[in-house]
Amino acid sequence: MSYEVKLKDRTAKVELLSRNGSQLAVSVDGKEYHLDFVKVKEGSYSIIHNNVVNNIVLLPIDGVKKYLVNNFKITCETEVIDAETRYLLSRRKGSGDDGEGTILAPIPGKVVKVLAEKGQPVTAGQTVVIISAMKMESEFKAAKDGVVADVKVTEGQTVDARQPMVIIEYNSEK
Amino acid sequence: MIKKVLVANRGEIALRVIRSCREMGIKTVAVYSDADRNSLHVLSADEAYHIGPSPSLESYLNIDKIIHVAKASGADAVHPGYGFLSENTKFSDRCKQEGIIFVGPSAYSISNMGDKITARKTMIAAGVPVVPGTVDMVTSEEEALRIIEEIGVPVMIKASAGGGGKGMRLVKNSNEVTSALRAARSEAKAAFNDDSVYIEKYIESPHHIEFQILADRHGNAIHLFERECSVQRRHQKIIEETPSPILTHEKRMEMGEHAVAAAKAVNYEGAGTIEFIVDNNLNYYFLEMNTRLQVEHPITEMVVGVDLVKEMINIANGLPLTYKQHELQQNGHAIECRIYAEDPENNFMPAPGKVTHIETPSGLGVRVDGYIYEGFEIPLYYDPLIAKLVVWGGTRKESIDRTLRALHEFKVTGVKNNVRFLERIALAEDFVKGNYNTHFIEDNYDFLMQAGSNTQTDQDLVMIASLMEYLDKVKPVQPEAKATRKNNWKDYNRVRNVMKF
Repeated sequence: MSYEVKLKDRTAKVELLSRNGSQLAVSVDGKEYHLDFVKVKEGSYSIIHNNVVNNIVLLPIDGVKKYLVNNFKITCETEVIDAETRYLLSRRKGSGDDGEGTILAPIPGKVVKVLAEKGQPVTAGQTVVIISAMKMESEFKAAKDGVVADVKVTEGQTVDARQPMVIIEYNSEK
Repeated sequence: MIKKVLVANRGEIALRVIRSCREMGIKTVAVYSDADRNSLHVLSADEAYHIGPSPSLESYLNIDKIIHVAKASGADAVHPGYGFLSENTKFSDRCKQEGIIFVGPSAYSISNMGDKITARKTMIAAGVPVVPGTVDMVTSEEEALRIIEEIGVPVMIKASAGGGGKGMRLVKNSNEVTSALRAARSEAKAAFNDDSVYIEKYIESPHHIEFQILADRHGNAIHLFERECSVQRRHQKIIEETPSPILTHEKRMEMGEHAVAAAKAVNYEGAGTIEFIVDNNLNYYFLEMNTRLQVEHPITEMVVGVDLVKEMINIANGLPLTYKQHELQQNGHAIECRIYAEDPENNFMPAPGKVTHIETPSGLGVRVDGYIYEGFEIPLYYDPLIAKLVVWGGTRKESIDRTLRALHEFKVTGVKNNVRFLERIALAEDFVKGNYNTHFIEDNYDFLMQAGSNTQTDQDLVMIASLMEYLDKVKPVQPEAKATRKNNWKDYNRVRNVMKF
C-alpha cells in the first residue's frame, strides 16, 4: 500500500515493499531503500542505511498524521496523506477556509492582555493578544487586515500550546 | 555547625546545593510551588514543604512563608541559590533576626554593592579601576567639555534621569562634543524636565570578564581566577569559559588582586563575583559585584578544583577559608553552555512544555547540571534555563572539541531548545580563535542562524520514519476492533473522529 508523505514543499510517494523483523524495504518516489529499522522507544527510531547510523525522533502533533521530526540536523514537520486526508483535501478545495485567520498560542503561557474584541476591525501587524511565558512577554499580531470574528481567551487565563486565541476573518484579496 | 539547610530556590541550582549538602552530611529542605511538585529538587531533598501558588511572587519570593518553613523544619541555615531572594537585603536581615544563618553576605555588603553610584564610590576609594567618567551629575556645558577632554573620546553622554535610550549620545570625534552635549541635554529636558547629564568613557568592543572571590569573616579573601562571559545575547549569557582566551598571566594576577580588594572594601563574606568590562587593549574597569553564587560557577570549580557551595557553607559556619591564594591554580580549560527551553528559529521565544525524550551526555570531562527528565513538564512561570553543560579539557582546543561532542549527545525533544544554536557558536571561527567580545552574536548572526541541511537521503529517511510511525499508530485499532467488537467500535469511532479534526 502506498501513501504520500509531505515534508515542507515536497510530497513524495512512499511505499512499504516488505518487512521482515527489523529489515525494511521501502521505496520513496521510486527509489528503493533497504534498511535496518528499529523503534528504540516511543517516538525514537534508529535507522541503519548502508551501515550509516541515523537517529530520528518523532513527535506527533494534532493526532496521528502530522509529526515534528528531528534527525539532529534539522527539525521539520511531516504529514502523512492517507485516503481520508485526500478526501478531506478534495472537499475543502475551493472553500477558501484554511484556518489561517486563527491565532494559536504557539507556546503554553498566560494571557497578559487581549487587545481586540469581537467585531472590531484590525489592520495587518496590529497586536491582538499578549502572552507571557518564562518571564518574557510575546505579542501576537494580525497577519492581514480583517475583522475579529471571535475572541476565545480572557486576560489572566492560562493557555496551552496550539490553543486558538483569536479568530480573524481576513479581508479577501482583491 | 550547620546541620540542616533550607534551599530557597528551585531548578538546577537547588539540586546543585542539595548535592554538596549531601556530601557534607547536611540534611536538606526543599520548598516548592504548585508547579514544582514533580521537580527534581523536591524529589532529591530530605524534606519538602509546599509554599504556595506557581507565580514566584506568591511562593519563591515570599519571605514570610520561607522563614516559616525554616522554623517548622528546624533548618539552621538558608541557601538562596541565585535569583529569587539571593540578593534581597530584607531577606538576609530577616534571617539574621530569626536566628537563621543566611548562606551569603550581610545586608550591608549586598546594599553597598547593589547601588551603582555607591558601589562606584566605594571602588574608587579602594583603588579599583572604574569606567572613567563623572561621579556626580554635570550641569554646565563648560564642565562637561573639560571632563570629556580629560577622559578622551569616545564617550557616552547619559541623562541622569534617563531611560529607554532618551537623552543618550555617543560621541566618537571631539568636534561633535558640543552639538552632542546640547542635543542630549535638550532631549533630556524635554523628556524628563531635567537636563543634568553624566559622562562615561565608551568602551568599544567590550569583553565581560568576571572574577570569582571567596571571603571569610576573619578578614581572609582570595580569588579563584576569571570567567570569560562575552558570549551574550541581549545581556543574557550563553556560553562562558575559563581561562579567558585574551588575558595574560600578569593582567590576570593584577585583576585578581583588585577583585580581592573590592571584596575587602565592603567586608564581604561568602562567595561573590566581581565583574569587569575589558577593552581590546586589556584596560579593565569595575562594572558591578554579584553578591551570590553565579549560574556559571561550575567552570571555576572544574578548573580550580574547589566546591564553591561547600566553601560557602564553611564560611557561613564561621570557619576560615580552606585554601590560601598561593595554593590555587588553573588546571586545564572549562566551558559552560546554557541549555535554554527556547526557539532560536522563532526569535528565541521561550518554549515551556513536556519533555518527551532526554538523553544527556556523559563520558570524560563532562558535567551536566540540569533538572529535567522524561515526562517532566517544564513550568511556564520560571526561567527557561533547563540545564548547564559544563565540559573540562586539558587545553582550550580539547574543551571546544569536547563541547561539540557533548552537544551532539545532548538530545532533548518535546520542548524546543538551543542545543543546535550552541553547536554553531562552538563552530564559529571567531569563537574557536578566542577572538570575540560582547558583539559576538550580532557579528556572527548569519553563521549562527544558518539552518542545517538535509540530503535527499536524509529527507527520504525522515519520510519513511513518519510513515512507519503512522502505520504503527493506526494499525492496532482494527485487530482490536475485531476481538471485542462491541466495546471497541466506540473507540474506533473516537479515533476516526480525532483523525478527522
